[in-house]
Formats: sequence, C-alpha cells, structure tokens
Amino acid sequence: MHLEVSNIKKSFGDKEVLHGLTFKVVSGKALGLLGRNGAGKTTTIRILMDLFQANEGTIDLDGKVFKPREFQIGYLPEERGLYPKKKVYDQLIYLGQLRGLSKSELKEHTLYWLERLGVMEYKDKKLETLSKGNQQKVQLASTFLCHPEIIILDEPFSGLDPVNSQILKEIIREQIQSEKLVIFSSHQMSYVEEFCEEIALIDEGQMILTGNLNTIKREYGKNRMIFKIADTSPQQVYDLLKKDFSDLIKFHEIKKEQVILELLNEESKYHFMSRLSEKKLNVEMFAIYHPSLEDIFIESVGE
Amino acid sequence: MKSFGTVLKFEINHYLKNKVFLISTLILVLLISVGLSIPTLIAALDSDDETSDPSSEDIPVYGLYDPEGLVEDLDYLKENFYLGEIKEYTDLNSLEQDVTSTTLNGGYILNNTLDYQYVVLNNEMADSGLNAFNRAYTIYYQKHAFEEKGIVFEEVQGIIHPNMTQNVNVLGKDSAANFSYTYILMFGLYFMIIMYGQLIATAVASEKSNRTMELLVTSTKTTYLIFGKVLGGAFAGMVQFILVIMTGKIVYYLNAKAWAGDLDYVFDIPSNILLQFSLFGILGYIFFAFIFGALGALVSKTEDVNASATPVTIIFVIVFLISVTGMQNTEGVVLKIASYIPFSSFMAMFVRLSMGSVAWYEVTISLSLLIVSTLFVGWFSAKIYRMGTLMYGNPVKLKDIPKILKSQ
Repeated sequence: MHLEVSNIKKSFGDKEVLHGLTFKVVSGKALGLLGRNGAGKTTTIRILMDLFQANEGTIDLDGKVFKPREFQIGYLPEERGLYPKKKVYDQLIYLGQLRGLSKSELKEHTLYWLERLGVMEYKDKKLETLSKGNQQKVQLASTFLCHPEIIILDEPFSGLDPVNSQILKEIIREQIQSEKLVIFSSHQMSYVEEFCEEIALIDEGQMILTGNLNTIKREYGKNRMIFKIADTSPQQVYDLLKKDFSDLIKFHEIKKEQVILELLNEESKYHFMSRLSEKKLNVEMFAIYHPSLEDIFIESVGE
Repeated sequence: MKSFGTVLKFEINHYLKNKVFLISTLILVLLISVGLSIPTLIAALDSDDETSDPSSEDIPVYGLYDPEGLVEDLDYLKENFYLGEIKEYTDLNSLEQDVTSTTLNGGYILNNTLDYQYVVLNNEMADSGLNAFNRAYTIYYQKHAFEEKGIVFEEVQGIIHPNMTQNVNVLGKDSAANFSYTYILMFGLYFMIIMYGQLIATAVASEKSNRTMELLVTSTKTTYLIFGKVLGGAFAGMVQFILVIMTGKIVYYLNAKAWAGDLDYVFDIPSNILLQFSLFGILGYIFFAFIFGALGALVSKTEDVNASATPVTIIFVIVFLISVTGMQNTEGVVLKIASYIPFSSFMAMFVRLSMGSVAWYEVTISLSLLIVSTLFVGWFSAKIYRMGTLMYGNPVKLKDIPKILKSQ
C-alpha cells in the first residue's frame, strides 16, 4: 500500500494550523511524524483518521481517495481513553465488534493481545482498577486487536516504562516486518530513529523535512567533520581553527567536547589534513560527522 | 447496521446491568406492590380483631349539664349527635372534673334555648365537638319550634332537603373520570424524560471526559453511536416505566377484593388511550432524549451536564405545566397551539386526546410534525455529537454551533 498526503491545509476558525503538508508512506516502512508540542502532528493524524476534514489537499491510498472506514486501522489516539467502569475483556470485544469483527474472531484476537501484552490476569477486572501502565497496555490491545492493515500511533511510548516500551518496540517492529503501513508520531527521537526509514518533520504546521532518514542524515552530515586535538579544550581548538584555517573550513559548533566543522568544498579536506600535519598538531580525531535525528530536529526547528 | 445493533445492545446492557437502575426499579416495584396491598393487609388484621371483643372505649363520650331542663327529649338530641355518646350530668363540678381527667372528651352546659357553653380541656384545631353539638342542638331546636306552631318537622325537612336523584350522560369524553390516569401517565412521562434525559446526557459526556469518544468515532458511524446511545437509554426507561405500570395493574387486581373497585379510575385505562399515549409518549421521549444526548456532547465534563441541560429542562417543565393546566380546559388556545409544536405536542396532544375531542386530521398533522422533527433532531444531534467529539475545554455555546459545524 502506498499512502500519499498532498498539500493538506487546515484552519480552525480564522487560524490556519496546517499550511500544506505533503508526505508519503509505503507498507513495510514506518513513517515517523516529528515535531514539537503543538506542531500539528495530532491534527495531521486526525485528518488522516477523518476526525477532521482538511480545508484543502488530498489523501490517496494506492491512487484512490483514502477512506479510513474502509480499512482496518489500528489507531492509538493521543488522548487515550476507554471505559473506566467496564471490564477489560468486555470493552475490547465491544470495540472490536464496532470495527466489524465477528465475536469468535475477536475472542481469539483479544486473548492473544492480552497475553502478548502481559495483562491477561486483568481480563475480568474493571479498567479503572488497573495501574496506568496496564491501562495503557489494554489501550494498545484495543489498537491491535482488529489485525489492522494500517497502524497509526499517536505518541505510543508516552506513559510506558522501559520494559513496556521494549514490548511495544517488538510489536511495532513485527508489524513493520509483516508489511503493515505504519505511521507514528513522537517527539522522542530515539524511537523514531529505531524504526523509521522515513520521517516527516513538522513545525508550526509546516513541513520542514521529509524523506528517507538515512538520506536526510547524509545530507545533514555532508562536508561536516568532527575534530579533536589531544589535551586541548574545544575553545582552544576553535581559536586555532579560526586563526589558521578559516580559508578552508567554517566552524560549525561545539558538541560533547568535540568541535564540528564544515568544509568549504570537497578539496578542502585534503588541504586541511596536509596543513594539520605541517603544524604537527596531535590530532585525536578527524572523522565524518553523522548527525543524530535529535541534532537534525533541533537544527531544523530551532530553539 | 450491524454496528448499530452492537451499540444498541451495549447501551441497553449498560443500563440494565447498572446497579442504580436495578435498585431504583426494585424499590419502585416494591413500593407499589406494598402500597396497593395495604387494604388487603388491613382487612386481614381487622378480621383478626373481630374474634376478640370490640372495645367500646374508643367511642368518645361528651357530658351534658342542663340545669334548666331545656332538653325534654334527650334521645332525639342523642340521635342527631354523630360524634359519640352524650352522658347527662346533674352538677357542673363533676362534669368539669371528668373533662379535666379526660374521662369526657368535652361537655356542654345549656344556659338557655339558644345559648350553651362548650367545655373542653385543650382546644384543638381538629376538634369537632362544637360543630357536632351545634348541629344536634339546632335540629332539636327546629323540631320543637316547628312543633309548637303545629307543623310536622319531618315534612319540613323533606321539603328543604329533597331526595334528588341524578346521573350524568356524557356524550363526549368524561374528562373528570379520565383525569386521574391522564395525570398519572403524564407525570410518569415527565419524570422519565427528566431522569433518563439527564442519564443519557451524562453518558455521552462521560465518554468525552474519559476520552473513549475518539476511539468510538473512528470505529463506526456517529449516527449509529448517538442513535444507539439515545435509543438504548430510552429503551431502559421504557422497560422501567412498563414494569412499574404492569406491577401496579397486577397487584391491584390481586387485591381487587379489598379495594372494591376504589381505584378503577386509575387502573382501568382504556386501551386506545394507552395506544395514543405510547405513540405520542415514545416519540416525545425520543425527541427529548436526542436533545439531551446532543447537550451531553457539547460539554467535556460530566459536571457541566446539569448547567448545560438547564434551558431544555426549563422548556420541558413549562411544557408539562401547560399540559397540566390544559387538563382543566382542553379547548384552551394555549393547549391547542402547544399540541402542534413538537417540543410540547406529545404531551399536549395526549391531554386533548385523552380528555377532550380532537379531529383525526389534527392528530395526523401533530403526529407527522412530531415524527419529522424527531428524525431531524436525531440527525442534528448526530452532527453535534460528531462536532463535539474533539471539542474539549469550555462547554460550547449554542450560538457558536453553526460556525463550528461549518469549520469542521
């Protein structure tokens, strides 16, 4: 499957909150929807789920207009919510039935997911008597129990401890491997880096970056090098670079006690290296810089 | 449509398995059963008493002191004194003593033919000792006064209080006889709409406050959700209503001997009235249930439901008052107008049907308007429900609804 979102715009009252977002997702690859709080991630997801109607733009799946109700979608809303006073098993069956599954099919799926998520023992308990983490797991069970073709998760890791996050990571990985179309939003970059081949970075309703994560990283790391001299503070290195090398390189930033510099062109690398050896500097590290997603995020979105 | 069935079943179960619903139904059924069995219980107790001696101590005794000997025929005076027995006293002191010691309920001292004194220990509001004696003494006086003039008193009485026989031949509706059950049915309906309206609004609002709504709305059509929710609640209310009425009927007939038909005017509801009531009542009930459901979707916390529902509740109370007032005069203009407006027609038209005369085309117009508006309100409440899904924070103001509907 191939989901294509083009130029969607959304206004609430007079205020436009999404200013034309475009991105693509294909089955078997996860898309990470990134952005700061209030960037427009949840609004985008709600438009995908047809909870909101976009004012402009199109959403197509395999070339046809995407109608979410025609597919089994595993949707985890940002605002988690189930019936606190109903028994876990009963409400999962009800939610599954609403999605059109048969009771016998559901029974099997529900038990599978309760077991898989380690909340089987709470099957006949009222939801409100469970701890928050366990409630979250029941919510996840409700997301996956319809055996969805498309999975849309809004901040799936919030509220989970490291052990439970690990369980969820495995599940998501499994879903990606079984060729599901996965979209998930997060502002926790490490998770996105783990699963997503594709990212879409939104800020203030605008698409800042979109595409293959590796390509983006390469693009961002292009001509950037990490540079370190033994027994010299980054500030001293900076001063030295500024004094003797400003014709070859541009200082970029100091990060984790390392100086990151940008080569002015492809040739500069060799000139820089030969001049370093001339000056007999005790170079400890001179390597290609691989930016983390967080670096890219902060650099793109700013402070 | 399958999902609609799922929602409806879930919602009905939600009510029927609810402890509050079960307990309140049980209490109502018990109260009615016990209440209607009281005469049988009393009769059973009375028949036990008959085996022992009936005590005469309960009959009140009043003293009479007649120093002038004004009353010659004491038996005639006693005959007309309905309150109890009259005992003659020959001296004032012992009469007063007996009143003080409560041996006597009271005493009368005759000063002259038209003047007497009532002696009583505590003068209470409900004391009828004075009236009773006044009547007996007046009749006694009249008899003697007429007889002195040579007129037979019984003849005079026959002229003044003739034995008139009458019966009413009702050509239209017997409003007086229909009053009780009309009122009871209306009050039941009123109570049901107020109670279940609030319950439905709260149920919708709680789905918003516990954030289940987003999941529900993305799982199935909003029309199914709101229709299932409202009709589920409405069904539960009807189950309770029918259960209570049926219990009343059954228990009344089980106790029919003890009641001796005293409550027939309440329980002998003609089946055509019941049919009309069901038709208008159910439609009106659903009409308001949809409004309450939509109101629930406009707030995000269950605490706000009451405030939000107040305007509708006020309208509803006014409708009820118009209908109740209309029962006195079914030809009134206000009631006639109210019987066409969907907000009030279900009650006002029922009053006119039950207690007055209505042409068939009037009923058809009113009923059609009600059906169309109920469908419209259902459709509109689904819109509001959909709109309210993701509106959190302050309750939405009614005037903002069109704007928000448009922007979504």
